Amino acid sequence: MNCPRCQSAEEHLRTECEGREGGELVWTVFYCRRCSFTWRDSEPAESIDYGLREDWFRADPDHPEKYEQNIPPAKTDGAD
Amino acid sequence: MDMETVTLSPEARAVAGRIHNIRDYLDLLAEHGQCITWPDTVMPEPDIRKVVVAAGRDAMTGPAIVFDKIRGYPGKRLVVGVHGSFSNIALLLGKPKGTSIKELFYELAGRWGSDTPLINRVEPEHAPVHENRVEAGINLYDLLPLYRINALDGGFYIAKANIVSRDPRDPDNFAKQNVGIYRIQVQGPDRFTLLSVPSHDMAQQILMAEQDDVPLKVAVMLGNHPAMAMFAATPVNYDESEFAYASQMMGSPIELTRSGNGMDVLAGAEMVIEAELLNNQRCLEGPFGEFPGSYSGIRHVPLFRVTAVSHRTDPIFESIYIGKGWTEHDTLIGLNTSAPIYAQLKENFPEVVAVNALYQHGLTGIISVKNRFAGFAKSVAMRALGTPHGLMYLKNLIMVDDDVDPFDLNQVMWALSTRTRASDIIVIPNMPLVLIDPAAEIPGKGHRLVIDATSFMPPDPIGGDAKLVAPPTGSEIDDLAKYILRLQKEAENR
Ligand SMILES: [Zn+2]
Repeated sequence: MNCPRCQSAEEHLRTECEGREGGELVWTVFYCRRCSFTWRDSEPAESIDYGLREDWFRADPDHPEKYEQNIPPAKTDGAD
Repeated sequence: MDMETVTLSPEARAVAGRIHNIRDYLDLLAEHGQCITWPDTVMPEPDIRKVVVAAGRDAMTGPAIVFDKIRGYPGKRLVVGVHGSFSNIALLLGKPKGTSIKELFYELAGRWGSDTPLINRVEPEHAPVHENRVEAGINLYDLLPLYRINALDGGFYIAKANIVSRDPRDPDNFAKQNVGIYRIQVQGPDRFTLLSVPSHDMAQQILMAEQDDVPLKVAVMLGNHPAMAMFAATPVNYDESEFAYASQMMGSPIELTRSGNGMDVLAGAEMVIEAELLNNQRCLEGPFGEFPGSYSGIRHVPLFRVTAVSHRTDPIFESIYIGKGWTEHDTLIGLNTSAPIYAQLKENFPEVVAVNALYQHGLTGIISVKNRFAGFAKSVAMRALGTPHGLMYLKNLIMVDDDVDPFDLNQVMWALSTRTRASDIIVIPNMPLVLIDPAAEIPGKGHRLVIDATSFMPPDPIGGDAKLVAPPTGSEIDDLAKYILRLQKEAENR
């Protein structure tokens, strides 16, 4: 499984939460540590299929400079 | 502001007296058929989105909807659309369901201007919000039935929270406490980003904390008193308290307690998430479907760490649908966007009759005014562009006479059809404009449009001699219209 938004590989993904009902697994929520995308594996394809995403809705974590700063950090030694 | 207390009708006082929190309000709504519990099991996506959009189509009477059968979230409750219709707002203000928007506008405008804080203090050990406390192993996904609001949002958002923060350079000053609505994207079990416009209080506080290397603590209040949700978005001055303002507009005390990290919070909130800024850390945030009906893009946004959570037993997660209008966002903020513009215009121009800034937070506004002489309405329009909200938001402004109800679009269209000359249209190029306008060529800058649809007045020599038909108007006709509705309902039930 890759990230549906930036295609990062499995090792960059984190399992956030499992939805269970009486022991049965209903869905799992994942988080991409590279592009911050969060998704549930039970969602419709338009939300979680990389192939269906327009470019604008994909992410490119290799080029973080593409994305604007909401509030630039006052000090740049902080981790990002 | 003067210190007088607003006089409320007995009905408004009765409502104000019984509503202490969101649960009381949901009970009131349910009594009037304005809050329903969704009968079927839903998937978090896309079912919730579909149901809520369908309910939101009816801006006059759409109900709040409680979901308590969400797959994978057994025992969890979600409510959406609490402020989703004008009938819901009417009930909060002590007015009957179906009250006209114009009447609601005058009710709110009449409550404007008093600033006597009505605040009751509740000791933390007696505050319902502290019934349950989580300080270790915090996982927001276990606490809230989080879901994706619009299909291409970048994650799961907490979109209807009120966030409390203190000036990091003066953290003990109650008056410098800020309560605002900011969108929150969950970024992990105990992490979230919070997006604020750089000119707003919260962004200023983030900047100060990072420059001075001091902590910035916040308390995220969820499932709030309905007045708080409505009025926290109204701009007040930096040294005024939004709590005082909300209580004054509601006409009843707001019950405050203290959060674990020292903020004043609503004692009856469903949940309070305590957090602190991770100074200088940023995280990718967005897209998010915003109120103009378009997605905002991905940005680097300040990151917060959750330090503790307090919540009522079986908390109700309150959320909102935002997107292409009409949505709950428009009903939630529309009237209290309109009321301050009206109050500020009235100071210079008592001729102003009503202000409708319901559309997309006032990107389009309609102002009705008693026209005194040719061109007068245009001067009023210029003043409106200079009000605090007008400065950044009033992009399109339609001026109508006092015989036109600006909340009745059929009447506004009549004025446009019969009283507008193309030479009465003004475009002011390259003005400041809110960043979020999707039509902007340069975000933050844009053209203003004023359409003067008022009638022709002397010294204008032509066009002023239209002899208007005068259909009967006034309360007798309003009552007859209500009576006709009742007769129709009876006929239907027979
Ligand atoms: Zn990714």
